Amino acid sequence: MNFMTSSLPWWSWLTLLMVPPLIFLLYFLKLRRTPVQVPSTYLWSKTIEDMHVNSFWQRLRRNLLLFLQVLFALMLLATCLRPGCDGTELVGARFIFLIDNSASMSATDNAQGKPRLETAKLEISNAIQNMPAGSSAMLISFSDSASVQQSYTSNKSELQRKLAQIKQTQRTSDLNEALTAAAGLANPGRSSDKASALDVQVADALDAVLYIYSDGGVRQVPRFAPGSLSPEYHAVGSFENRPTNVGITAFSVGEPSAIDGSVQIFARLQNSDDVDQTVDVSFYVGDALQDAVGDILVTAGGTKGISFNLSGESASVNQPTTVQLKIDDEDVFMLDNEAFAVLNPPRKTNVIIISENTPYFRYACSTDAITKRTNVEFHGAEYLNDSTYLQRAQEGYYDLAIYDSLVPQTMPLCNTMIWNQIPLGDQWNRSAVHSPTPVLDYDGAHPIMAAVKIGGLTIVNSRDLEGPQGSLSLIESTTGSIAVLGPREGYLDLVMGFSIIETDENGETYVNSDWPKKLSFPIFMQNVIEDLSGISAFSAGANLHPGDLMTIKPSIPLEKIKIQSPGGETTEIRPQADRTFVFSNTETSGIYEVSDALSGIVDQRIAVNLMDANESNIAVRADLNLGYSQLQRVTSQIPERKEFWRWLLMGGLILLMVEWIIYNRRVFI
Amino acid sequence: MNTLGKPAKSAQETLSTTPHPTPLIDPALMVKLEQMELVSRKIFRGRMKGERRSRRKGQSVEFADFRNYVAGDDLRFVDWNMYARLDKLFLKLFLEEEDLHFYTLIDVSESMQFGRPTKLHYAKQLAASLGYIGLCRSDRVKIEPLIGSKQNSVPVFRGRKNLWEMMKYLEELPTGSDVSLTQAVRSFCLRNAGKGILLLITDLMDKSGYQEALKYLVAQQMDVYLIHILSQEEIDPDITGDLKLVDCEDADVAEISVSQRLIDRYRGTLANFIEQARDFSSKRGIVYTMTSTERSVDRLVARYLRQRGLVR
Repeated sequence: MNFMTSSLPWWSWLTLLMVPPLIFLLYFLKLRRTPVQVPSTYLWSKTIEDMHVNSFWQRLRRNLLLFLQVLFALMLLATCLRPGCDGTELVGARFIFLIDNSASMSATDNAQGKPRLETAKLEISNAIQNMPAGSSAMLISFSDSASVQQSYTSNKSELQRKLAQIKQTQRTSDLNEALTAAAGLANPGRSSDKASALDVQVADALDAVLYIYSDGGVRQVPRFAPGSLSPEYHAVGSFENRPTNVGITAFSVGEPSAIDGSVQIFARLQNSDDVDQTVDVSFYVGDALQDAVGDILVTAGGTKGISFNLSGESASVNQPTTVQLKIDDEDVFMLDNEAFAVLNPPRKTNVIIISENTPYFRYACSTDAITKRTNVEFHGAEYLNDSTYLQRAQEGYYDLAIYDSLVPQTMPLCNTMIWNQIPLGDQWNRSAVHSPTPVLDYDGAHPIMAAVKIGGLTIVNSRDLEGPQGSLSLIESTTGSIAVLGPREGYLDLVMGFSIIETDENGETYVNSDWPKKLSFPIFMQNVIEDLSGISAFSAGANLHPGDLMTIKPSIPLEKIKIQSPGGETTEIRPQADRTFVFSNTETSGIYEVSDALSGIVDQRIAVNLMDANESNIAVRADLNLGYSQLQRVTSQIPERKEFWRWLLMGGLILLMVEWIIYNRRVFI
Repeated sequence: MNTLGKPAKSAQETLSTTPHPTPLIDPALMVKLEQMELVSRKIFRGRMKGERRSRRKGQSVEFADFRNYVAGDDLRFVDWNMYARLDKLFLKLFLEEEDLHFYTLIDVSESMQFGRPTKLHYAKQLAASLGYIGLCRSDRVKIEPLIGSKQNSVPVFRGRKNLWEMMKYLEELPTGSDVSLTQAVRSFCLRNAGKGILLLITDLMDKSGYQEALKYLVAQQMDVYLIHILSQEEIDPDITGDLKLVDCEDADVAEISVSQRLIDRYRGTLANFIEQARDFSSKRGIVYTMTSTERSVDRLVARYLRQRGLVR
């Protein structure tokens, strides 16, 4: 409840404030009475002697009229103060509340030190309270995925209950899914492809106001057309005072040095403040403090890379060991002040190469980088029918299987690389043979193609490839993709549209490509084996974000594993058909310990880190880009005061009526 | 408009000039009054022979008793027949016929000037009526306004022939006395030591109290009748608003804001006042009669005063 003291100028207030004392004083003035001569005042004097009106206090005693008049004047004064409370008026009939519960919403940068999420919930709660009668609202929370907490309802208490249930997550922000859900009703789906002439709208579009409560630290929404939605971006957090936060946005354990086995640890610090910040960081291996660096200057809005060297002795661990980097300085967003990684003991991966022409593969796989970390088997085509192969392929023994100019009847439970063939089934297609094949481009950013220079590569015959949905073209010729990385039920198939050695109709072999003679071939093969057999994942551990699906492949086949979350909760899970384990409850950042449920031996540790530059930048964004439109931030909803003065005035009028009745009862007999 | 009193200014103007609308006594009433006589509960000794029997033995024609002759008795009253039969001298006694002293005291204070008709006019009517009864019975009728020591000689009326003189006297009674009731009664008592019937007509609105005055009358050993006159407006005031009541006698002021509660309270006070007066009177042998100016004098005399034994 508050008052609008500025509703009148000061002199008006002064005049009004004089009214009650004036009424009070008027009661002390002698009433102008009509003189009437009577035979004797004897009886009257006796009658009124105990209610004599000239006494100071007795005049006021039982003088209900005075009290009523003063009360009426005070009510009028209060009316002029325009008492009311802050409310918000929502205009419309349908509202969609999108509330960001990503990691950055846990920043405590407001005056009360409350998390941004709580502030947003409070604002939405007020908005729900002020929804016009008959209107309905939908409540959606979003982080990296969206969750419809409450579909359209006009039940305010249900909305409030669901709002209270929304919890803070440590996930990143992605508005796409939430917008899709929100647009579901406002922009009904189409009957068919948009490009089709037969496309019709299946339902009438219903206008809705979309309130997005977020700090704006969300990923870009490239394609979004609001349609019938009227979006409003309500920025949550301190906009005027940019919050102080230095966070860890990258933390990785490098490959053990081939020379001394030492490991380099890299980290990147990001300062989202608009002033330079200095921080102290500590580096732990296991629970022991390994190193610490003080007064690291991180420039305003910039990043700073730091590294630690772990000697070969320290890095050679027998079991998966946690390494942790911690910023010792406190700020408003503590979630990104520590990061975890895992130092795994060295383990060789199993790679099988089935080819009739193995020499150039043997040559490419003979480098130290491969032989030290990988067991590579070479077999001919007949090995495809060998029982050992069949058993190992179905048990998930291999980490990578390479097939040269042949394809197995049943795809193995591992990543594969297939030369000059495509996996069986209708997922893959290939064109007729093109000859010759000039290489036009390749994806140098992909780890498989890292440092691979294929300029001047000669390929005689090739076929264009078309992989399943989600495939990635790595090498392109003038006619199409000749190297495609495609997904297959959790595995990856790298399909090459050509072979190195080909056989013609007469059974004569000839060289189809000169790639094995190039320096880039062993590098390419090393990249393939490192990336697809998971060597890097084993050495430093996979880097997951909170909420990511954790696919666990134990070093040895296990019947059941036990996963202990950072909070200490344990979950036992059984393997899937491919002997892998899938764990989804990765909401908290930290180290997840995977152990054999039977023996209790720790198999591996998996780090889950926020490490998101977008989330660590907790500055409240002034605007939000939604597709082609840019939303300006709205600090609060359209304020509309809930005025009480009307009720006060009504009360005052009732009071006046009561006073009139009492006065009349008093005067007329 | 209220009718309890008058606006302060106009009241002063109209006090002495307004003629009374009705005569003090009308012929029809006179006929009725001629049949009545004043009755005293006590034996009085008149100064002159009147038309009423007295316990005192006297020289009327009506035999009363015998008594033994003693030396010095008038021989004219010796019953010689008895002497002849009994050989003893007996004196024959006859009932004496005496006159009655009938005093009427009229309160002529300012407060008696109120009412319709005014209480004073009503008092005069009543005094005239009872005085006429007295005149018809050859009683000694004396009417005095209560004006205290300023009183000049007061005429005494006797005999029917003095009716018009009495009426004239009543009409010309002085008004506006500022003497208290007690002082006025005391002055009367000092000047009139005889016994008789005393009729006090007043509204008892004396702030110094009426009790002392009545005590003087009681001490006078008279047969006292108190007629308490109140105007209808005093009995049931019809006023509204915020008023300043001005006492016509002493200009005392009472400020009132009329409410039902106040009116109820006033009625209670009035009832209490009347009750106290009645109680005080009856304890001292005074016959108290309260009347309103709205009640006709005819009805008051013929019914109420007859019931109370003043007339028959």
